[in-house]
Amino acid sequence: MIQVLLVEDDRELRTTLAGALRVEGYEVRAAASLADAMALLAHSDIELVLLDLGLPDGEGEDLLHKLRSLKGTPLLVISAREQDGLKVRLLDAGADDYLVKPFSITELLARMRVALRHRGRQVAAAVTRYEQDGLLVDLAAHRVCLNGEDVHLTPTEFKLLARLLRSAGQVVTHRTLLTDVWGADCSEQTHYLRLYMGQLRAKLEADPADPKRLRTEPGVGYRFS
Amino acid sequence: MSLYLPWLIGAALAGLAAALLKRLQTQVARAERHAFEAEQLRLLAEELRSLSEPAAMAAALAGALTPLGKSAPIVLLLQDQMPATNEAAAVHVHGEPDANQWEGLWLSMRRALAFGPGTLRHEELNAWYLPLRGREGARGAAMLPLDLGPALGLRAHAQALCDLLGQALERAATERAGARLREAAEAQGVRNTLLATISHDYRTPLATIMSAASSLLAQGERLDTRQRERLARSIVDEARSLSRMTDNTLQLARLDGPDVRLTRDWESAEELIGAVMGRLRQRDAHTRVKTRVVPGLPLLRCDALLLTQLLDNLVDNALKYAEGGGVEILARREEEAVLIAVRDRGPGVPPAWRDRIFEVFRRGPENETPDGSRGSGVGLAACRAIATAHGGRLGYRARSHGGAAFELRLPIEEVPQ
Repeated sequence: MIQVLLVEDDRELRTTLAGALRVEGYEVRAAASLADAMALLAHSDIELVLLDLGLPDGEGEDLLHKLRSLKGTPLLVISAREQDGLKVRLLDAGADDYLVKPFSITELLARMRVALRHRGRQVAAAVTRYEQDGLLVDLAAHRVCLNGEDVHLTPTEFKLLARLLRSAGQVVTHRTLLTDVWGADCSEQTHYLRLYMGQLRAKLEADPADPKRLRTEPGVGYRFS
Repeated sequence: MSLYLPWLIGAALAGLAAALLKRLQTQVARAERHAFEAEQLRLLAEELRSLSEPAAMAAALAGALTPLGKSAPIVLLLQDQMPATNEAAAVHVHGEPDANQWEGLWLSMRRALAFGPGTLRHEELNAWYLPLRGREGARGAAMLPLDLGPALGLRAHAQALCDLLGQALERAATERAGARLREAAEAQGVRNTLLATISHDYRTPLATIMSAASSLLAQGERLDTRQRERLARSIVDEARSLSRMTDNTLQLARLDGPDVRLTRDWESAEELIGAVMGRLRQRDAHTRVKTRVVPGLPLLRCDALLLTQLLDNLVDNALKYAEGGGVEILARREEEAVLIAVRDRGPGVPPAWRDRIFEVFRRGPENETPDGSRGSGVGLAACRAIATAHGGRLGYRARSHGGAAFELRLPIEEVPQ
């Protein structure tokens, strides 16, 4: 059974979520504060962390750093809308994904499945071939095919697509994309991103204003799904 | 003795005549003085009516007092409220008082009393300190330096001049206080309307959630699967609408404040619309909403979360009122702006309501719309507040072949290279 650490200070929500996760076959460890969460992490074999922001004893950045230094356990951030800045900061710092309250159990389970699929991806061999719904991307051969026809991408467009594919299903923040594709000195140049994402959508989406693959997460980043 | 009598009589008569003459002269002088005083009062009253600045009012009084004294007077007036201590910031001063004069002016104002020769208070002074009196105490004071032996009558006149200004100041203060009260009452009115709207709008979904959840709890086993599913779904839907309303209310309150800070970045209209479509499809894969976005639109300098919130609201509204018809999100460039419009072919907004739909108002029998429902609560008010905070405009247009078009225009800014 997969062990999940649920850090949430509201008792009602903690109980409800824990119950729903157990029905899905997860073993749930619950914590109401960051201190409790740190203690549980040290003594159990947690494989996924759900972290609510706005806990009484801190902002969760320490917990994220500890996780990253230990074993790369995935972490999902749960935030209220007012905590947007903090949420993006944690994502920039390496949190895997986020959910904004209120969310449905279906959304939570979907995010968890993706995060677990990516678990340990950093060390394992990278996926080099992606195929879904008529889109084929061969990262090694630098080849993109849509519905059987070759699509020509510029080198930057290709790098951008490859970066999103590496985290398929997960949100990738603006800063991460800019840093990984253009370099650290371009981490604030969001307008590059808008331009190139627009070009990618024009080439890969049937209706660029109603995209099925290259999703925008307003104020946060993009998600390939 | 008798020899002297005629002389005595003559002398007495002469004295009488001189006295009479003097009295006559004095009477003439007094009459002239009265005329002069009346004229001066009239002129000052007229001048004060045309003035509103304390500096100008003080200068007018100083001008009127100067001929009565030895040299130019010093005038001190209260700007607004009486401070606890003698603060320079609370008053306007005409002239340059020394420390003693400063204290004297404040004392005369605070006590609404005159000091100096003839007042029985501080007779030793060679100046008058005169309060500028209104009906409720003094709102200033004047200090007039004097020659020796001043006529008592002049002081009464000087005081009358000072009181003219005192009354004018009191009137102005009363008007200011009235305006403040009106503003406060207006703000209170807006707050009350907002609270009434919110509590009304919250109660409806809460009632649905309460009845659905309690039905599941009390009758769960007697309900069939489809009934249970329907109840659970209505709880989810109503919770989502409560969440949306909470966001709208929070933004409305925040954007209404004096110090609005937006998290702006370069955003693409196509992406914002795409994000709205994505969320719609999560709820309904075959949504009736279509998009028409002109490629290559200029980027917008905006807060992405607020803009998608605005579009979510407009699309939700359109879906609600389009009566099963299609809804379209359109984006194109205009000369100086990017236009994003949400349009439907529903019944549209009745003319009488077009100006009011963006206001926060309470839905009640007295202001129910003819179709019974196109009250938006805080949703459209939040939309307009978001548009305005971005330097943009949100308006309503009735479509020529029927239907509603909500049109958002956002200014185009130059993108850095």
